[in-house]
This record gives sequence, structure tokens and C-alpha cells, in this order.
Amino acid sequence: MSQITVYRAKEIITMDPNQPRATHVAVMDGKILAVGGADCADQWGTAVHDDSLSDAVLMPGFVEGHSHMMAGAIWDYAYAGYHDRIDPDGKLWKGMTDIEAVVERLSDQANALPAGQPLVAWGFDPIFLPTERLNRNHLDQISKDRPVAVMYSNFHLMCVNTRALELASYSAETNVEGVLRGPDGALTGELQEMAAMMPVMRRLGIDFRGLSQTAPAIRSFGKVCTRAGVTTATDLFATIEESDIDTLTRVTREASFPIRLVPTLGAIGAQPEEIAARALHLKTFNHDKLRLGAVKLMTDGSIQGWTARVKWPGYVGGQPNGIWNTPPETIFDLCEVMQKNAVQMHIHTNGDEASEVSIAALEAASRKHPWPNSRHVLQHCQMMGRDQFRACAALGICTNLFANHIWYFGDQHAALTLGEDRAERMDAVRSALDEGVRVAIHSDAPVTPMGPLFTAWCAVTRETMTGRILGEAQRISVSEALYAITLGAAYTLKMDHEIGSIETGKKADFAVLAEDPTKAKCLKDVAVLGTVINGVQHLL
Amino acid sequence: MSQPRLPLTVISGYLGAGKTTLINRLLSEPHGQQLMVLVNDFGAINIDADLLVSAEKDTLLLSNGCVCCTIGGDLFMAVADALDRTPRPEHLIIEASGVAEPSKIANVALAEPDLRYAGIVTLADALNYRALAHDPLVGEQVKGQVRAADIVLLSKGSDQALLLELAVLANAPAMALSDDISVSELLLELNPDKAPDIAAHTHPAYTSWSAQEPREFSRARLLEKLESRPSGLYRLKGRLLGPDGGLELHVVGAQISVSACEQPSIGKLVGIGPKQSLSQDAIAQWWA
Repeated sequence: MSQITVYRAKEIITMDPNQPRATHVAVMDGKILAVGGADCADQWGTAVHDDSLSDAVLMPGFVEGHSHMMAGAIWDYAYAGYHDRIDPDGKLWKGMTDIEAVVERLSDQANALPAGQPLVAWGFDPIFLPTERLNRNHLDQISKDRPVAVMYSNFHLMCVNTRALELASYSAETNVEGVLRGPDGALTGELQEMAAMMPVMRRLGIDFRGLSQTAPAIRSFGKVCTRAGVTTATDLFATIEESDIDTLTRVTREASFPIRLVPTLGAIGAQPEEIAARALHLKTFNHDKLRLGAVKLMTDGSIQGWTARVKWPGYVGGQPNGIWNTPPETIFDLCEVMQKNAVQMHIHTNGDEASEVSIAALEAASRKHPWPNSRHVLQHCQMMGRDQFRACAALGICTNLFANHIWYFGDQHAALTLGEDRAERMDAVRSALDEGVRVAIHSDAPVTPMGPLFTAWCAVTRETMTGRILGEAQRISVSEALYAITLGAAYTLKMDHEIGSIETGKKADFAVLAEDPTKAKCLKDVAVLGTVINGVQHLL
Repeated sequence: MSQPRLPLTVISGYLGAGKTTLINRLLSEPHGQQLMVLVNDFGAINIDADLLVSAEKDTLLLSNGCVCCTIGGDLFMAVADALDRTPRPEHLIIEASGVAEPSKIANVALAEPDLRYAGIVTLADALNYRALAHDPLVGEQVKGQVRAADIVLLSKGSDQALLLELAVLANAPAMALSDDISVSELLLELNPDKAPDIAAHTHPAYTSWSAQEPREFSRARLLEKLESRPSGLYRLKGRLLGPDGGLELHVVGAQISVSACEQPSIGKLVGIGPKQSLSQDAIAQWWA
């Protein structure tokens, strides 16, 4: 008989209504054998009692339903962002709230590099530094000899120093859209969109493809998750070549790999039938910590980039409607074919026109190929109103809402993109729950940092960066938020029978916390001490 | 520069506009150039079995030296890979996705010193274009692709009123893409050295024009001359005698590039445009 270990905790929040609270959990073979008091496993035979977690509060391991694997390896580059962030190894990088601070930090980083090696940074966002635009003169202060490139957080823009401009042969004569000039006609160093950025990226060896699917990138992503208390996380738009499968299966099988990884295949680059076949083929490689088989569809762009497809009355600044990254008729084709082949879909929808088209496509698909438990998931759902949530409830469509946006971009949405009233009802988790929709909430890491407790706090308080409460009517309770980051997200991944609550029969996956989030002064400040997955501890 | 710049042509158009058909024709016509074609997927690529050397998951190799690859996750990295390929292809063709803004792709040819801009070709479907252009969801993106075009090709039939509408929207020549015309002649690189001496060849669908030019041009005078070129001229290429060495010129649609080259023994020019937008007389009169 396998060993039974009974862990004592300060408190266990189970998310199981039959026994919402407990002090002990018994683990056998990586699964939960029993939950309750010190004697909970006595019926099952001799147990080892382990007090190593007795000062901690346990919750079900958190589930991040919308993140990207590059959240780990992006830290191979220097951080240049406005907000404090913690890297995969636990180091805190203070946010840089003015350009001088960016220059100072990057100068330190540059000085630590071998001569001539480019310095590449990420995460800079001019939206938070409205006084002066970053330009090459700033970056020339970091180095005149080594190329310096600062990638902006949206990955559509970068600023580079004079040396990098020279490498790309950009000069006073260059007259290319996206290679910006100042009022004096000189190049500013800012490069907009990939066409203008590519000549620099090529010469500096910046290739984002290396930030996913390599063994170090996968392991690094695992570390990011552990720091956030996450034991199951998605890589939601994976490019998985046949040659990547071996690495992916090998690394996720490593005993030290701390999460169940759910990569969803980006639905591009082939006809729908081939994509479905590919997803089903990938599914054959699944094991306990690797869950392939779903796909991700793109539809529109982003609201803060004015590229989301929004319904009337459109953007408050009068910008033209956004763009489709996938034509609506292809969205319909993909939905039909995936549904026919029983391939679960995660569908990116920021604007309300994109969610409207996606719901219509899913409804059409479900009429042709009924699949009652399909659990397709609309992702982001930032502008969905009660009407669309009702339609989702009727069709069994799940929604995973981008709660972190409220804090990070809520003020911008009210002032610049959607205007006051629609910003107040963005990311409407309350409406979704009230209309009976299955709900998860997410970070979209690395777009915003992974941290389900922070995400939960956003949905509970709806506080923005300036301290404003954006849409009080859409607040949810702490227990609803905790459900969303555990069982709610597990449901969207079709894993709620295995994970998401601490109850007998499920995987022994726990978030190890310093205090009880339901009693903490501030949900987002609850410290994560590590995780347990399959009964194996990964403490920080 | 060790290698010649790689010409880049973007083929744009909404779903069903005929992009793949055009690519199939480009790959199989006997143009003698080693093309590299980047496509979204192989779904409709249809290569004659006699021409196919090997077919792997993301690459088709043809006996005429052409290569067709799927774009994969990142278009611009695929372009960078094309530049690093040995031997470097002679012409890079990108099939834009049905909703792509083609100028955002073609712009890389202006930005990247190893590439040369060789045009945006937008296809429109004679049967569906009007409905698509008025579609509340995709109309603006469909029209945007036409606006960005250096030449518009109308597939699935001819429609004079529509051709006119497209030419006005694009501010560029528009022509019907019939089955019997050589698309490589229109879209691929012109060779001034192989062109007949002057206006000797006729073609059912295009006006192609070439000239030997003994006069010397300064850069400024050449640019001034180019400003007044006939609007139906899709491409013009050549080398001219200059006061301090030669001048190499490449004109594609609205894009003009004039750079220094070795002084040629005599200037040569070759140009092409759709017959219905460009007459021999117009181009000859302009250049005279």
C-alpha cells in the first residue's frame, strides 16, 4: 500500500461546499485521500503526519486560464516597465516611473554585459509616462557603442539607440512609415510596427520564437506559475511544430516541473480540417502534466490599441473601428469544423462586435453538430453586456474575463477608448455570474503579471491605477473571485473533475499561502509561499 | 553589399479573391526565376506533380528552383529567414492573409536594406467585391487592401465599371486577370538588358515598353521626370547615364527608388502596365 501523508495546515479553504473549511488533508499517490481534521485518514490505515505546512493556509492550486509561455523567458531581456514586477527567480524589479529611471536601470544592466553585446529590454509603456516620449538620445546615454533596443509592452513599438539605427542602415535619408522623425527631421529612434522593427530585430538577434517551446523557456514559465500559486496554466496560442513535441513532453514530465501545462494550438496556417486533425494528434501526447488538444482562435485586436472590433457608438475619440485578425467567415468555418471534430476552442474577443460574431458562429456550429458539453471559452470578453452573457449561458459557452485590465488600463478606457459608461461595465464579471455563465478571470501574462490573487482583487474591488472604482455594480464577492481562479478556471479547461478544489479523489494540487485570503486586509497582498502539485512541494 | 537586394511582392485580397490561383500560376510559369513564396497554408496550392521535387510539412520544392513555404507563427521572422537562405531566392512573394493590411507587410521592403520593394498586388473578385466592399463587418478592410495596391487584378471575370471603380479607389492601374496572360511578366523583375530595343513586342493584356537612352540624367532631373509618369505605369526599371556615374531606378506604383550604380555604356529602360490603363503612345510621349 502506498504511503499516506496527512498535512496539517493553519487553514484549508477547500472550495468544496460539503466541507468548506478543514485543517488537514491526506495525500496518497499524489491525490487527495481525505479532508477534515487530524483523523481524516484514520480509516485508510497508518499515516505519516507532516507539519511542514502547519503555518500556511492551503487553497486549491490556482488555475490561470489565459497566459502565455513567453511570460517566463521574456526575462532573458532586461525589464523596463512602469510597474514593480518579480522575475521567475523571485527577484523584485522595481517599476521605473520616469525615463531617467529607465536609463539608469538599463545602464546598470548594459554595464554587466560583454562589450558589443546588444542590450534588449521589454515592458516599457509610454501610456504611463505621458510627459516625454522615449527617444534615442535617452538610449544613447546607456551606450553609444552597443546597440540598445527597448521593446514596448504591446510588442508593436520599440525605441532604439543611434548604434542600432546605424546597424539597420536607418539614416537621415530614411523615409519609411514607422521609422519616426522629430520636429527637427532627425530620427527619434522610435520604430512602430514589425516592418520598421524587423531590420533592427534581425541584426540584434531578437527572435521571440525562442521565448516559447525551448526547454529553458518551459521551465522558466513553470517558475513564474509557482510564484503566483498557480499549478495549472495555459499557453494560449501555442505554435507547436512536430519538432517541439519531444521537448514539450520531456520537460513537462520532469519531476521538478511544477505545473499542469495546457498549451492551446493557434488556429492559423492551415485549413480548418487540418488544424482540427493537428489538435487531435497533439492530444495523443498528453500526460498528467501536459494537456494538449484545444485550439485558440484570434478574432479582433485590442481596445487600448483601438484595433478591437466594437459595436456602435465605437471609440470615444472617433477612431475608426478596429480590425479583424481572422475574417468573420473564417471564424464561422473554424467554429464549425472544430465543433464537428470535438475540438474545444478558446476564442479571443476583446470588442463587443467580436464577441457577437463569435457567439453567432458558435451557435451556428452547435446547430449543425450538437455537442452539449463543448465548453468553448470566449477569452477577454471585455465589452460583453448582459445580452451576450445570456446568449453564452444558453449555449453553454464559458467566459474568461480580463479582470486585470480594470486596474492597469481602466482609467485609459474611461478617458480615451470607450468613454465613461462603457468603461464602467467593462469586464463585467457580476453580469456574467448573474446571467449564469461559467466564469474565469485572467492575467494574460506577460501582458500583465501572472497573479490570480491580484486578478481576484481586481474583480472584487474594480479599483484602477488612480484609485478610482470603475463600475461598482460589477464587483463580485471574495468567495466568487476565489472560485473563479480555481474551479471556475478549471471548468473552462475541462479539468474540474481533477483539480480546482480540495476534495477526496482530486489531485493534491495546492496553493500555499501565508494568510487566509477571505480574512486578509487586502486580497492582492496575500503572500504566496509556493505550491504543491501531485503532493510534491514547490516552496519558494 | 554582398548580395543583390531581394525584391518583395505582396499579394493581397480578401478570402476567395484568387490569391492562391495567382500564386499557382506564378510558381508554374516558365519565368526562369527562383521564387520563394510564403503562403498562409498549403490548402489550395496546386502544383503539377511533374514540377514537384519534394513536399514536406512546411516546404514545397519545385524542379524550376522555386520554393513555397508556409509562414508559420511570425511573418516577419519568416522574411528574415528568407533573407538568410542560401542561395538567396531571386524574388520573394508573400501571400497576405485575407484580412491583412498589405502595406504593413510591404513596408518591410522599404525598411530592410536587404529587401527591395516590388509592389502590392491586390486581387478583387468580380463576382463578390461589391458586396464585400459594403459589408458592415469587413468592408473597410477589403477597401483598405485596394487602396494600398500598386496594381489591382480583377479575378473571375471582367467588369469595366468595377475596374474603373477599383482603379480610382487604388489610384493605381486595374486590369482583369484572364487565364491566358503571363502573370510573371507583369509581376516579376523586368530585365532591361533582355528587353527588345524599343516597343517591338505587343501583348494582349499589357503595354510593355523599353527604350535605349543615350541622354545623361541628373538625379534631380530624373526624379522630376518620374513625377509626371503616366498613371497606368505599374513598374519601370532601368539604368541611366549620370553626371557622376550611373543611376539605377526602380519604380513600382507610387514607390520610386533611385540609387547610384556603375556608369552603363548606354541607358536602358523597361516598363509595364495594363493595356487598358497605359498606351504605348502615352509612355513614349512622356519619356521622349
